[in-house]
Amino acid sequence: MTANILDGIVLGLQFGLLAAGLTLVYGLGGVLNLAYGQMGVISAIVVALAMDAGVPALPAVGVGLLAGGLLGLLLDQTILRPVYRSRGEARVLLSLLLTLGVSFIVDGFLIWRFPLKALSLHIGGGAVEILGVLMRRGSLLASAITLVTIAGLFVFFRRTSLGQAVRSVIEDEEGARMVGIYPSRMLRLILILSGMLAALVAVTRSMVTPVDVTGGLHMTVFALIVTVVGGRGSVAGALLAGIILGIVNVVAADLIGTYVSLIILLGAAAVTILIRPAGLLGVKE
Amino acid sequence: MLEVKGFSAGYQGNNVVHDVTFHVDPGEAVMIIGSNGAGKTTLFRAMCGLLSPSSGTVLFDGDHITGIAAERIARLGMRFVSAERHLFPGMTVQENLHLGAYPRRPDPETMSIVLELFPRLAERRRQHAGTLSGGEQQMVAVGRALMSKPRLLVLDEPSTGLAPLLARAAYEALGVLREGGLTVLVAEQQVPLAMAFSDRGYVLENGLIRLEGTTEEMAANPAVRRAYLGVT
Amino acid sequence: MSDQPTGSAGTSPMGGTEARSARALASLLIPIAAVGAALALVPLWLGDSRVLMGVAVLGLAFVCYTIGFNVIFGSTGQLFLCTGALAGIGGYGAAILTDTVGLPIVVSILIATLAATFTGGLLSFVAVRRSLGVIFTGIVTLIFSMSFEALLLGLSDLTGGDTGRLIYSGTDTFLREQIPPYYLMLALVLVFLLVHGLLQRSYIGWAFRALRDDEVAAELAGVDVARYRVYAALIGAAMLGLAGSTYALTEGRLSPTTFGFGQVDIVVLVMLAFGGIGTLFGPTLGAVTFTVVDEILIDFGQLRQVAYGILIIVLFLGMPRGVIPTVASLWRRVRGLEGSDAAKSTGSAAGRLESVPGESQSAE
Repeated sequence: MTANILDGIVLGLQFGLLAAGLTLVYGLGGVLNLAYGQMGVISAIVVALAMDAGVPALPAVGVGLLAGGLLGLLLDQTILRPVYRSRGEARVLLSLLLTLGVSFIVDGFLIWRFPLKALSLHIGGGAVEILGVLMRRGSLLASAITLVTIAGLFVFFRRTSLGQAVRSVIEDEEGARMVGIYPSRMLRLILILSGMLAALVAVTRSMVTPVDVTGGLHMTVFALIVTVVGGRGSVAGALLAGIILGIVNVVAADLIGTYVSLIILLGAAAVTILIRPAGLLGVKE
Repeated sequence: MLEVKGFSAGYQGNNVVHDVTFHVDPGEAVMIIGSNGAGKTTLFRAMCGLLSPSSGTVLFDGDHITGIAAERIARLGMRFVSAERHLFPGMTVQENLHLGAYPRRPDPETMSIVLELFPRLAERRRQHAGTLSGGEQQMVAVGRALMSKPRLLVLDEPSTGLAPLLARAAYEALGVLREGGLTVLVAEQQVPLAMAFSDRGYVLENGLIRLEGTTEEMAANPAVRRAYLGVT
Repeated sequence: MSDQPTGSAGTSPMGGTEARSARALASLLIPIAAVGAALALVPLWLGDSRVLMGVAVLGLAFVCYTIGFNVIFGSTGQLFLCTGALAGIGGYGAAILTDTVGLPIVVSILIATLAATFTGGLLSFVAVRRSLGVIFTGIVTLIFSMSFEALLLGLSDLTGGDTGRLIYSGTDTFLREQIPPYYLMLALVLVFLLVHGLLQRSYIGWAFRALRDDEVAAELAGVDVARYRVYAALIGAAMLGLAGSTYALTEGRLSPTTFGFGQVDIVVLVMLAFGGIGTLFGPTLGAVTFTVVDEILIDFGQLRQVAYGILIIVLFLGMPRGVIPTVASLWRRVRGLEGSDAAKSTGSAAGRLESVPGESQSAE
């Protein structure tokens, strides 16, 4: 059971970090980016291609993260331009549909051009024992990176004035504008950040299991569910929801079976939405 | 310092404010009084960049700021405190105040001035702004605007939701700031409060400026007395 | 066209009520008959190719699905991202009831349709009770969709799991022949069009439009918004279930991808958006167009998805109301009748995609 809970937490933290990117964009800009998973997949493929070309692992990952950030910027500058002209619900719907279109374009292209490509980062060495449980090094490194990143986000949002400025836009956009904060610039920044987060999670995931070109939709859907359960705009909520759902996922899969556990996971998410639409740590509208 | 000429604004093609002209000179305290629905909020919002005006010009220190977005205007030295305040509820009082100075680092001297003005906030520094009372929230809203050392402070109905005692205290604080040299423009429904505070004023009715003059002139005006001071 | 959202044809103190009713009915029946006649000619052209007839039957199934979705989303703005699942309840339900349980085909279809209807109504009821907005309704129904798919994969004994299952019932009947299924589905299409058309012209249709345009005003006018939303969901889900079960029995085999999210829900959404959300013939236009386009592009394999992505973007940027309302609008402008109310009320669901101008946008 401890093994499962630990596995669940590891998985959950990744869910949470992934969702953090999506929830920030949703909370700050009212934009639902359904091409989010694809941003991660493209970055992973970029890393794979770089490594194929002989670039060592670490710089290749750096390139991948950069690619993720650039994709975020690209999204902001192109597809989201018309979205920014809408407000509220219309904006969410339009962003949803346009990014859905983008996700199709990306998926279609990737599957056509690189049908068998996948990123797999092998971390050498045997298994390591943590809390009496045997963990693969890849898993361990992935978790460590995830935790460090989460800590970094925490420091950014709590301690830096830029991070607080970002939070202020999520808290009250009009209030932020009245103190001279540019919501559009903050959104651009957060989109770049979200791209990098998607890239990071894809890369760390590849340390555990291969990430291939079809993984985009899967990533987006999980990020979406965690985002909704955790609460719009709340990174802490995303992490909490991620961990809970991660544990539920692993424990249920072990006790019952993959498909039923998935249904339980989805059911849990649905129940949370129905009981508390604002999410676990979301702001009540 | 602030010149508004022939200004009209509204929502979805219908103007609420029509051809309004007024000005605020440096160091003055000017009030715009009117009843509910007169258009004061629309006027201020459009002036401060939260709403697109239909026509007219706004000049701040001679520079055109008509139709410029709110966040740009805020950086030019004109700070707007709306009736709803728009604080950051999940953030502490301290964080709210600090953000008032964005993008500069909060100046400790300014901070201590604000806390002197509103001693209650010092106790509540680490409290989340969303949990404060109405009066305290008003203090944070004004304090936040002050952190940027603005040259002009524009307030929309600062007495909103405040008990009479607190409303008076708020205006007393504004009075102190005025003595320090701050220029203030205030829109107010509670006319006696505004009159006690301002040098000059305008009456806004149905989106039109009906009257202007010094506070004394307005206080003596029978129409004003009847409509806004409850004197028959 | 029959898309004028006029109230129920009838009582007018000006006299000639019967003539007006007859005219109104004719204005509904004639276009439907025309569409029916046009579509009825298709087998004359494609009849000898089993593959192409299969595509045509599927195309008609999608017309049915899209009409059902149109009744739910177009009429009352409920974003149900589970059309595939509802059709799947019909399809898999009928298959299991007839093969495994042994019930007669018609009974199985009936029960499966009822199951789908009930599910749709339940989802709507829950969404309405919890006051879920468009986005959350979409997310909750999406979760339902995914759960349904997981269920199909999990109950592999009944459903055949990943690989799917064959349906033995109806094997030697007209259901599995080449051409009759087409006419069966066409009959469904015409019935659905008629039902939707009559609905639009009835009090219920008026209530739908009222609540879609302005909920508060509708409530004040005496429309129980919650109840009518559920009605719309019940009717739409019934259509989906019926279409799904009928289609399944003509196909003879099912797999999770027959009713999958990516294969049905997204496609139906795009078809409806293209044709015109809330219009009577929008679904037909959208479904037929896309079926044809998909066939034409079949050699492009995976790149079709790229094409669809581009299409979605262009569609929702350029023509968020869909072809029929946009064309109708242009036609009115050409005839000098711009600004009529009809143009505005056909798409409050699509109107959700249009912004409210006036508020000053953020600076760069």
